[in-house]
Amino acid sequence: MTTSPFNRRDFLTSIAGTALVYAIDAPAQTGPRPNITVRIDRDLAVLDPAHRTGPWEGNVMRVVYQRLMRQKANSAELELDAAAEIRQVSPTVIEFRLKPGQMFTDGFGEMTADDVKFSFERIGLPPKDGAKESSYKNDWLHLQGVEVKNKYEGRIVLTHARANLYDVVIADGSGCIVSRKAVEQRGADFATRPVGSGPYQLVSLERQKGATLRRNATYAGRKPYYEEIAIRFVSDARTTDLALRSGELDFAILAPSAAEPLRSVAGLTVNEQPSIAYVWLGMNVDKAPLSDLRVRQAIRLALDVDQMLVAGYNGKAPRLNTLLPPQILGHWREAPVYKRNVAEARSLLAAAGASNLKLKLLILNQAAYQNMALVARALLADVGVTVEVDAQEGGTFWNSGKGDTGKNIDLFITRFNGKHDPNFIMQWFVAGQIGNWNWQRWNSPEFDALYTQSAGELDPARRRQMVIDAQRLMDNSAAFVWLTNEANVLVYRSWIRPAGVPGWIDWQYDEFGAAT
Amino acid sequence: MMRYLASRLVTTVLIVIGAMLLLFTLSAVVPGDPATTLLGPQATPELSRRFIVEMGLDQPVHIRLWRFFVNVLTGNLGVDVISGRPVGSLIREVIPYTLILTFSAVGLAVLIGVPLGVFAATHRGSVLDNVLAFVSVAFIAVPSFVIAIFLLLIFAIWLDWLPVLGASRTGALGDEVKRMILPTLALALGWIGFIARLVRTSMLEVLGEPYIRTSRAYGLSERLVTYKYALKNACIPTITILGMGIGRLLGGAILVEIVFARPGLGRLIYHAISERNYPVVQGAVLVVVALFVVVNLLVDLSYSAIDPRIRHDTSNSGAAG
Repeated sequence: MTTSPFNRRDFLTSIAGTALVYAIDAPAQTGPRPNITVRIDRDLAVLDPAHRTGPWEGNVMRVVYQRLMRQKANSAELELDAAAEIRQVSPTVIEFRLKPGQMFTDGFGEMTADDVKFSFERIGLPPKDGAKESSYKNDWLHLQGVEVKNKYEGRIVLTHARANLYDVVIADGSGCIVSRKAVEQRGADFATRPVGSGPYQLVSLERQKGATLRRNATYAGRKPYYEEIAIRFVSDARTTDLALRSGELDFAILAPSAAEPLRSVAGLTVNEQPSIAYVWLGMNVDKAPLSDLRVRQAIRLALDVDQMLVAGYNGKAPRLNTLLPPQILGHWREAPVYKRNVAEARSLLAAAGASNLKLKLLILNQAAYQNMALVARALLADVGVTVEVDAQEGGTFWNSGKGDTGKNIDLFITRFNGKHDPNFIMQWFVAGQIGNWNWQRWNSPEFDALYTQSAGELDPARRRQMVIDAQRLMDNSAAFVWLTNEANVLVYRSWIRPAGVPGWIDWQYDEFGAAT
Repeated sequence: MMRYLASRLVTTVLIVIGAMLLLFTLSAVVPGDPATTLLGPQATPELSRRFIVEMGLDQPVHIRLWRFFVNVLTGNLGVDVISGRPVGSLIREVIPYTLILTFSAVGLAVLIGVPLGVFAATHRGSVLDNVLAFVSVAFIAVPSFVIAIFLLLIFAIWLDWLPVLGASRTGALGDEVKRMILPTLALALGWIGFIARLVRTSMLEVLGEPYIRTSRAYGLSERLVTYKYALKNACIPTITILGMGIGRLLGGAILVEIVFARPGLGRLIYHAISERNYPVVQGAVLVVVALFVVVNLLVDLSYSAIDPRIRHDTSNSGAAG
C-alpha cells in the first residue's frame, strides 16, 4: 500500500486557511468612500475630442477637459465653465472671455483663447498638414473660424445661424478645450494621454479594463466630491449584476430586465430614469407594397405598441408617440396615440389590394428587439401579413440601410441615441440621409425645409412650432411606428448620489456626490 | 532531426499563410465597416469611406495580403483604425493576461487531472473510479462559461471569498493572483476531467504491457512502476492533447474573459470583429495562429525527449526521406 505525504487533514486545513485569508480580505461594501468604481459597457479607446468614438468616451472627456459652457448638475440647462462671459452678439457671431488662471495638467500652462480656437477649428475646419479629419466635423457645421482678440478673449464666427450650437456643440464633446501645445507635442499619443484643465485628470487608461480618474489638484473650479473614480469596462450584464452585489462596482446603468433582480439587494438603490434614445419600427416607403400609404397605415393599426413594450422591456419603458420625447424642445404632446384596430387594418389592406403579404423585419440580435419582433410577427399575422424576423449582429445590422442595400429593407426596428436638441434628432430623416441613415427612404421636401428653418431659428417658440409641424408630417407618412424612448435603470450604492444630464446618455462624474 | 524540424517549420509558415488567406477572404465577404458599426448615425459616408481606405479594404484581397505579410516581416502589425494605436501595442497589452490564464489553467489541469487519472486506473472498477468518471464527464460536458457563472455565484457572492472581476485595477501582484483564481478554475475544470479520463485510459493500456509485468516481477515498488515506467509512456497522448488545448485557450477563452471582464486576446478579437476593426483582427489572429503552431511544434519535439522510440523513428524517416 502506498502512502501520500498529503493527507485529508492537511487538505482541509489548507482549504480553511485559504478561506479565512479571503474572508478577511473581502471587498469593502460600506461607504461612503472617497473613491468609487463605475461600470461602462463599451471600451474606452480614444480620449481626444476630435476623434472620440461614443458617449462613454464623451463622459470621461467632459470631466478631463473644460468647455466654455457646461450643463448644470442633473440638468440640460447650461452654465458657464471655462468662460467668464459668453455673448451672442449676432446670429452668426459669439464672443467669449475666458476665466484667467485655468491651468492645463502636466505643466502645459494656462488655457488661452488660442487653445479654444485650436480646439474648435481642428474639429470643424478642414484638417491642416495631413492631420486626420474629425468624425465630428458636422458638429461644427457652418463654422467659419475662431478669431483670437487677446489672451483670454475671442469670437466664434459662423456662416449661418445655429440654434443648437450651445447645447450640442459648445457644451458637449466637440466643445472640449484641449491644449494646442499638448496636442502638437504628443501627437497620436494624445488620444490616450489627454491633457485637460477639468475637474479630473486621467491617471490610467488600459484597453479592455477601463480608466482611472483622479481629482485634478490644479482645477480652478469647484472640487468634485470623489477623490478617485475607477471606470471599469464590463460588457456582460450578468457580471455587472454580480459585481454590484459583491461590492466591486458602485454604479452601473442596466436595461430594465437586467436591473430587476437587484431591487431586493440591501444597500443598492435602483432608480429608473427616462432616456432620450428613441426606438421605432420603420417601413421602407420606396418598396412595394409598403410604398402604398394604406398598407403602412394598416401595419401601424395592426400593431399594439404597449404589448410590444411589455415583451421588450418588461413594460418598464415609456411609450413614445412621436419622434421627440417629452424632455426635448418641440415634443408633440397631442400626437395621436394609435390603438390596435384589426378590422380597420384589414379593410385598409383590402382597399390597397394587398393580400398574403410577406415582409421581412430586420432587427439587431438583442433580446429586447427580438422579443418585440416576435410580438409584431404574431400581431401582423392576425391581419394576414406574414413576417420573417431577420436578426443581425451589430456590424451587419448597422450597415443594412447603406446605399442600394437599403432598397431591399421592408420593416426594421432600430434605436438611435438622442441629444437635448430637436434638430440633432431630426437630422437622420431628411432626404439627404436616404441610403445612409434614413432607412425609411422617406423623402419629404416639406420636412427638409422645416428641418433647415428650425436649425437656424433662434426664437424658441417659433422653433418649437416648426419642429411639431415636422413631426406631424412624419405621422402623416405612416412610415414610423414610434415605440419608446426607453428607460435607463441606474443601480448604485445607496450612499452615492449619481449625476447625469436627463436622458442619462451624458453622465456627470464631477457632480457625483454622497447621498444625504 | 534537423530535416524534421525544417519540415515542421515550413508547415508552420504554410499554416500561418493559410490562416491569414482565409481571414482576408472572410473580411472581404463580411458586410460592414467600422465607422458605421462604431459611430452609428455619426458616421457620414465620407467617414465610412475614409475608414475603408485606411484599412486598405478598397484594395483587392491579394494586394492586402501581400502588404500585410510585408508589414509583418518588418514587425508592423498595422494600426488600429479606431484608436490610431499600433496593433502590436494593443496585443502587447493583453497578451500577458492570456498567457498567464492559459498556462495556469493548463498547469492546474495537469496537476489535478494526471493524479486523478492515475488513481482511477490503479483503482479500476472501485467506487471512487466510478465517481471520478461521473464527475470528469460532467466537467467535460458543461461549458466553461457556465462553470464560470456557478463559480462566481458560489465563491464571489455566497461565500464572498473571491472577487467577481478578473483583472486588478491597481495591477498589484496579490490582487492579480486573487482575481485569477476563478477564471483559471473555470477554464481548468473541463480540462481536469478530460485529462483524468485520458490518463486513465492510457494508463490501463500501459499497465497491461509485458514490461510492466516484468518490472513487477523484478520486485520494483508499485509506486515506481506506476509513476516512473507506466505514467511516462501513458503521458504521450495527454501531451498531444495539451498542445491542442493550450493553442485553443490562447484565443478561445473569450467567454470566460467576458464573464470575468478580464482582458485577453480572445476578447480583443471578439470586440474587433464586432466593430469590423480588421487590422486588429488580422494582427491578433496572426499572433494566436503563430502561438498555436509554435506550441504544437514544441509539443511534437517534446515527444522525442519522453520516448526515445519516437526519436529513433523520426531519424529513420528523416534518413529515408
